[in-house]
Amino acid sequence: MIKVRQKQIDEDDFLAMRKDVLSLWPTGQEVDLDEAVEYQRNLPDSKKFYKVLQKVHEEGRTVLFPRSGTPIVEDEIELVRSLNDLGIPLIPFTTDSYTRNLQLDKAQRGLEDSIKAGRSMLNGYPIVNHGVLTTRKVVEACDGAFSPRSSRLANSLVGEVAFASGMTAMPNSFFGWIGGYDKKATVEECIDTAQYLGRLIGYYASKGVIITTDCHGWLPNGVIPMSVNIATQIIEALISAEQGVKSVMPQVNLQGSIAQDLGDIRVTPRLYRKYLDKLGHSDVMIPGIVGSQVPLYAFPRGMGSAFGYIVYTATVAALGQVDACFVKTIDEAIGIPTKESHIESYQAAKWVLDVVRTQEFEIDNEDIRQEESITEAEVTAILDKVLELGEGDIAVGAIRAVEAGVLDSPFSINIHAKDQVLGVRDLKGACRYIEFGNLPIPEEIKQFHRDKVAERENVEGRKMDYYVSIDDFWAISKGNLLGMPNFNNNNGRRGKD
Amino acid sequence: MKAKPTIITGTVGVDAHVIGTKIVSRALRDAGYAVVELGAQTPPEEFIKVAQETDADAMLMSSLYGMAEMDLQGFKEKCIEAGLEEVLLYIGGILGVSRHNFQDDEKRFKEMGFDRVYPPESDIQLAIQDLRGDLMSKRKFANLVMES
Repeated sequence: MIKVRQKQIDEDDFLAMRKDVLSLWPTGQEVDLDEAVEYQRNLPDSKKFYKVLQKVHEEGRTVLFPRSGTPIVEDEIELVRSLNDLGIPLIPFTTDSYTRNLQLDKAQRGLEDSIKAGRSMLNGYPIVNHGVLTTRKVVEACDGAFSPRSSRLANSLVGEVAFASGMTAMPNSFFGWIGGYDKKATVEECIDTAQYLGRLIGYYASKGVIITTDCHGWLPNGVIPMSVNIATQIIEALISAEQGVKSVMPQVNLQGSIAQDLGDIRVTPRLYRKYLDKLGHSDVMIPGIVGSQVPLYAFPRGMGSAFGYIVYTATVAALGQVDACFVKTIDEAIGIPTKESHIESYQAAKWVLDVVRTQEFEIDNEDIRQEESITEAEVTAILDKVLELGEGDIAVGAIRAVEAGVLDSPFSINIHAKDQVLGVRDLKGACRYIEFGNLPIPEEIKQFHRDKVAERENVEGRKMDYYVSIDDFWAISKGNLLGMPNFNNNNGRRGKD
Repeated sequence: MKAKPTIITGTVGVDAHVIGTKIVSRALRDAGYAVVELGAQTPPEEFIKVAQETDADAMLMSSLYGMAEMDLQGFKEKCIEAGLEEVLLYIGGILGVSRHNFQDDEKRFKEMGFDRVYPPESDIQLAIQDLRGDLMSKRKFANLVMES
C-alpha cells in the first residue's frame, strides 16, 4: 500500500525527523538550525543562488555552472577560487560516492588516505566528514553561490550540513536517483527522502531564506527523447513545492540535435510554469534555467575532440539563451579532472558563451518549432496520465506510473524501472523512440517517431534495433552523431583526434 | 562439466555507472554464456557470494568512478579463501581517480590478482574472445564452441 502523499510534513514531525538525520555522524551536532538561518540571512547576494540566476537573466548572459569536488579542504578552496577567478558565479560541490551512499567511515578513511598520500583517493568532497565549520571556510573563500550534489541515502544529511554551511541550492531529484544513483530504493522511498529536503528548504523559506532546488529528472541512460526527463523534473518540482520550496531551476539536457535541444529549451520552463500554476504553486519562482551537457554519452578521449564537444554544447546553450550552462571537462573520459583541466575546459566554454550571447542571435525555424510541439505533446500526455493514476495526487501518481511503465527510461540503475523503452537517432540526429513501452504517447506522435526511424532504416539498409541504439550511444565519443556499426577501439590511450 | 560457462557481471563498490555492465551482460548472453547480472553498486562480497552459489567461471567487473582500487583491496585473497582461486577476474573502466596511464592501472590491478584489465571503450567482442581463450586454457571447457 502506498503511504506517501503529496502533503507538507507537519513542522513538529519534521523537527523530530531532523534529530535522527543529524545523529548519523558526529558533525550533525554542528548544525544549529536557528543559527544557520541567521548565517544564511547575512550572506551577500552573490552567494544566493536564485539572486545570482536572476541577475544573470536580467543581464542576458549565460554563465557556467560546472561540477567539481576534491577531498582535501585546502585543495577544494584552491579549486573553487580558481573557478571564481574564471568568473564562474555558480559553484558546484560534488560529494564523493561513499558520502552519497552514507558510507561515512569509508569516506573518512579515503579522506585520511588522501591527506597521507597527497593525492585524491575520493572522487569528491566528503562534506559530512568535514562538517559545517570547515565547509563554511570553503564557502567563504570565494564569491559565488554553492550547490552541493548528493544522492538518496545521504541527501537529508548533506542538505542539513550544506545549508548550515551557507550553500543556497541543491538538487532534490528523486528521479535522478532512480535513473542513475540508487539500485534498490523504491520510488516511494525516493519521494519520502525528497520530501525531507523539500521540507528543510521550506523551513528556511518560512524564515525568509530562499534556497533553490535544481530538478534533474529521470536522466536517460540511453538514446531517447527528453520527454520523460522533463515530465519527471516537473514532478520533482511539484513535490518540492508542496513542502515549501519557493525557487526551482529546470535543467534542459542537451543531446546533440540542435533543433531538438532548442525546442526543449523553449518548452521546458513553460511547462514547469503551467503545472506549478495548475497545482496551486504560483508563488514558486523559476529564477533561471540551466542547459546541461547530458551526462550520458561516453566522452571523446582525444583532447581536441573533447574540446569540440564542450564548445558545441556551449554554443547550443548560448543560442538557446539559457542562464547557466553545465559542461564536463576534457578529462571526463580519463577520470576526475585536474584543476588545470577544469580551467582550460571552462575557458573554452566561457569564450563561446560570451561571444555568442553578446550577439543576441535569435534562431528560429520549422524544425525547432516541430520539436517543440512534439516535446510539449509528449510531456503533457505523460504528466496528465501520472495525475490521473494518482487521482490528483502527484506523489501517488508517480509511484503508480513507474510501476505501470507510464514513466520509463532505458538502462536505468534502479531495479523497479520497467526498462521497456529504447531509442535511436534519426537521420538529422534527433532522438526518437523505437520501443515505446507503456509510455502514454499519443498515437499520431508515435507515428511521427516511426516515420523518422523508417527514413534512417531505408538509408542505412539495416533495422533500427538495440544494436543501433548502442552504436548511437557510442557515436559522440567517436566524433559522430549517428552511430556506425563495428567501430574499433583506440585501445584506451589518449590518442590523436 | 557444465554446458556453458557462468559469468558474473556487475559494477563494483558503490559505483552507480550501470550502462557498461548492461552492455557487457547482453553481449555475453548473445554470445551464449550464462550470465548472472548483479548490476551497479555491487559490493565485492556479493560477487564472491554469488560466484560460490552459482559455481561461476569468471567475474567481469566494471568501474568508472575511479575508486575501484579502494573497493578491491584484498579481493583476490578473499576469493582464494572462499575457494574461488580458479575463477577468472576481469575488470574494465576508469580505474584511477585523476589523470593516469592505463598501463599503470593494468600493472596495479594485475598485481592485485586480476587476469585481464581493460580501459574504457574497449571492444566487448575482443574481451569475449579473451575470455573464451582464458577459459579454454584453464581446460574447463575443452570444446568451447561459442559465438564471439
